[in-house]
Amino acid sequence: MAGPLLDIRNLSVHYRTPRGDIKALRQVNLAIPPGQIVGVVGESGCGKSTLISAVLRLMSPNARVAEGRIGFKDQDLLVLSEARMRALRGKEISIVFQDPMQAHNPVLTIGRQMADIQYRDGTSEPEKRRRAAAMLGQVGIPDPELRLDQYPHEFSGGMRQRIAIAMALMARPALLIADEPTTALDATLEVQVIHKLKALQADYGCSILFISHHLGVIAELCDEVVVMYAGEVVEQGSVRDLFHAPQHPYTRRLLECDPGRIKERTRTLPTIPGEVPDLAALPRGCVFRERCTDAIERCATEHPAWRTLSDGHHAACHVAGQAADTKQ
Amino acid sequence: MTDLLEIDDLKVRFPVGGGFLSSLGVGPAPSIEAVAGVSLRVKHGETYAIVGESGSGKTTLARAVAGLLTAQEGSIRFQGVELRGLPESQFRPLRRHMAMMFQDPVGSLSPRLTIKYLITEPYRIQGLKDRDLETEARRLLDMVGLSAEFAARYPYQLSGGQARRVGVARALALDPKLILADEPTAGLDVSVQGELLNLLSDLRDRLGVAMMVITHNLNVVRHIADRVGIMYLGRLVEEGPTETVFANPKHPYTLALLAANPEPDPDAVLDRIELKGEPPSLLSRPAACEFHTRCPFVQDNCAVDTPAWQAVEPDHHHRCHWPRS
Amino acid sequence: MAAIEQTSGSHGELREILGHVVREPLGLAGLIIVSLIVLSAVFADWIVPYDPIALNIKDRLQGPSAAHWLGADQLGRDTLSRVIMGGRVALQVALPTIAGAMTIGLTLGMIAGFGPRWLDNLILLLFDTVRSFPTVMFALAVVALVGPSLETVVLVIMATSAPTYGRVSRTQTLQLKNSEFLLAERAMGASTPRILLVHLLPNVLGPLAVLAAMDIPTVVGLEAGLSFLGMGVRPPTPSWGSLLNDGYTLIRNTPWLIIAGGIPLILTTLGFTFLGETLRDVIDPKLRARKGER
Repeated sequence: MAGPLLDIRNLSVHYRTPRGDIKALRQVNLAIPPGQIVGVVGESGCGKSTLISAVLRLMSPNARVAEGRIGFKDQDLLVLSEARMRALRGKEISIVFQDPMQAHNPVLTIGRQMADIQYRDGTSEPEKRRRAAAMLGQVGIPDPELRLDQYPHEFSGGMRQRIAIAMALMARPALLIADEPTTALDATLEVQVIHKLKALQADYGCSILFISHHLGVIAELCDEVVVMYAGEVVEQGSVRDLFHAPQHPYTRRLLECDPGRIKERTRTLPTIPGEVPDLAALPRGCVFRERCTDAIERCATEHPAWRTLSDGHHAACHVAGQAADTKQ
Repeated sequence: MTDLLEIDDLKVRFPVGGGFLSSLGVGPAPSIEAVAGVSLRVKHGETYAIVGESGSGKTTLARAVAGLLTAQEGSIRFQGVELRGLPESQFRPLRRHMAMMFQDPVGSLSPRLTIKYLITEPYRIQGLKDRDLETEARRLLDMVGLSAEFAARYPYQLSGGQARRVGVARALALDPKLILADEPTAGLDVSVQGELLNLLSDLRDRLGVAMMVITHNLNVVRHIADRVGIMYLGRLVEEGPTETVFANPKHPYTLALLAANPEPDPDAVLDRIELKGEPPSLLSRPAACEFHTRCPFVQDNCAVDTPAWQAVEPDHHHRCHWPRS
Repeated sequence: MAAIEQTSGSHGELREILGHVVREPLGLAGLIIVSLIVLSAVFADWIVPYDPIALNIKDRLQGPSAAHWLGADQLGRDTLSRVIMGGRVALQVALPTIAGAMTIGLTLGMIAGFGPRWLDNLILLLFDTVRSFPTVMFALAVVALVGPSLETVVLVIMATSAPTYGRVSRTQTLQLKNSEFLLAERAMGASTPRILLVHLLPNVLGPLAVLAAMDIPTVVGLEAGLSFLGMGVRPPTPSWGSLLNDGYTLIRNTPWLIIAGGIPLILTTLGFTFLGETLRDVIDPKLRARKGER
């Protein structure tokens, strides 16, 4: 297959509310090449969750796609019938959620649940069970045959998240969406889960859309990184471009802020003063302008276009590329 | 001279769903020891961080200090007064000097009251009638960098960072000597975490308040703690000045925690220590050194002899037979 | 003291809740119907065209006319006047009953939820015992003992519906008992009365208000039912139940009485249920925040 696996073009999603429309996503462009791990970074309110629900077509009733397309394997997900979409979910696109405690049905054994999700395959029960055990073994659960008969509460949080990954990969999806899968886990377990995910991705050759606010995890796991701010993609590039030569001022500030990056104990940690703008009453020009230290006059009036800075490195900023290299 | 907070050999046990017999009061009720003999000191004006992962007992420890849980053994002395077994009527006056911040920034604020009411509540509880609540509210909001218009809002109208500032304002209302902060950066965005840590260290310098910070986030520790204690299964396994522990960790668990913090740099080469398996259950604690089941450097005697609490330097201690160098 | 300072805030909140109710078509409909019923009950003395108990034999069993919009009954009393007065009686029964049931239920429920285990069990046993009596049977038994009157009806319904409020209050209390904000209050040294009254009560009250709104039609219906059986409000005092009873016996002569007694009952049920359902969606501030801000 040529071209990207998932190709989101110009996607805008609005929520109807009594206060007026909240423009949660605006002209988002995002492409995931086959076999790549693409990380999405952004803080609360940046539109990460809306993006996921749009790709899965599981949006809340007051959400509306204002424009754009979500290309997946040469079809537009936004115009697929509900039946086709259902057939796609869990089979070609699957998801691992943030909270491993709520991802499983508490009254069914893990083995039952893993057999149930193979309902499309039409294989025999023992075969489904054998596959489930093999999959559990792959994500590093010891004694998988025995543990198939246990209930979710008999597993620890880290194990449950690995089981969730096993279940998501069971159908060999082309795209795995991982929504902050390690946020609820302790650091030592987070490392285990990330390594497992990376190894499995290499084995299965699927693409992963990895959502996280943890920059360290993104740097370690992803090939490509997308930075979102207040409902827009502000920068996209390879993980090295992004972490070594960030071009959008927001990306730069965000990286500077990360306490994980600052090894020396400092009097004052860098911050990004100001607040995310109200998505129901957006300012003219660039959304980041009010918090941006590099803003020029043009930023107040003209919304910055999506520009290619170098091969595979894009940003939506008037000053990107010119005011660059002030850092790093 | 006595330190501000002195904890000695503290043990907190929880009963766990026992069998039929124990429910009748026959036979010993099974229990887990969430805090299994912790001793530590917090000096005046000092920030002491307790680091550990889920189930390490760090939150239980903080709640026992605040008198929200009963400790079965040991002692907690605050300003020289024994808190264990102290009735609430005698504890209340001491609460002027000890404030606690809880994990969930929004969830720890009573949902149907205004911010003004919430931050001035300590005055009401302590019966300080002479204070002008209006003025105090404005002063406190100003202190944590929130504008006066927040006074009329409700908790659900705040972002996580704003709610956290309200929590700090309320903790500071009575000029406490000690703040117990349970995961102060939980649920906050990266850029807001920095703001909060700046605020806390600024207030500490200005007001001279001591802090006991409970966290699993080592970045928090590095930036605000003077000393740090690492907890595993309800016990301290290492303790020392923050810089020393970070630069020269002795216990393998400390080492693993430090290494498990992914660098925001794709080319960072990590000599990562990956731990084996999962943390053991408190119901079946491993024998001898309790870390030996997951330790990458385990030796024969680790499963047999219990390591002692030993000093590397006068103020740097650990509990390991084979400390790293 | 605490309560007084809160009121300024609660006012704003009340206005906000009303604003949300009015924006929902169903809520607006409920609000309009309920306001009409309440207003006509309050100003009944001024708006009734005739004295509802005055006899006027020559107009008996009349159909609707310019003089009697809803006709007149077998004694020539104006039906519209009796419907309006019946509404007042219905609310006179329903409001104190529900207020009483709510107070008893709330107090016992919060004690059960917050207090020690044995007290919880004791109060639950009490609730279940009282609830196991069918209200109507219980009422019939009491009326047979002490004779029919408005007060008896009020007391009986109050006693039998209090456990429902008690159950809801208890569940709410139990849910919030270990919440972080109550823990935070305890860490500040807040006394038990303060925790119960200032922090727990406002959070328990919301769901109870919804329950109460939905319960008013039930109580109105119960009163009508008992009056229909001749066990409630005594003649000649007008009641929707006795109107129905009259209409039922006279259905061969005129359908108007049964219609006049039935329609207000239906309207009351619909009005309060619409209002209650909208309130339920709106009353939770967190739910509201989610609805508004996504």
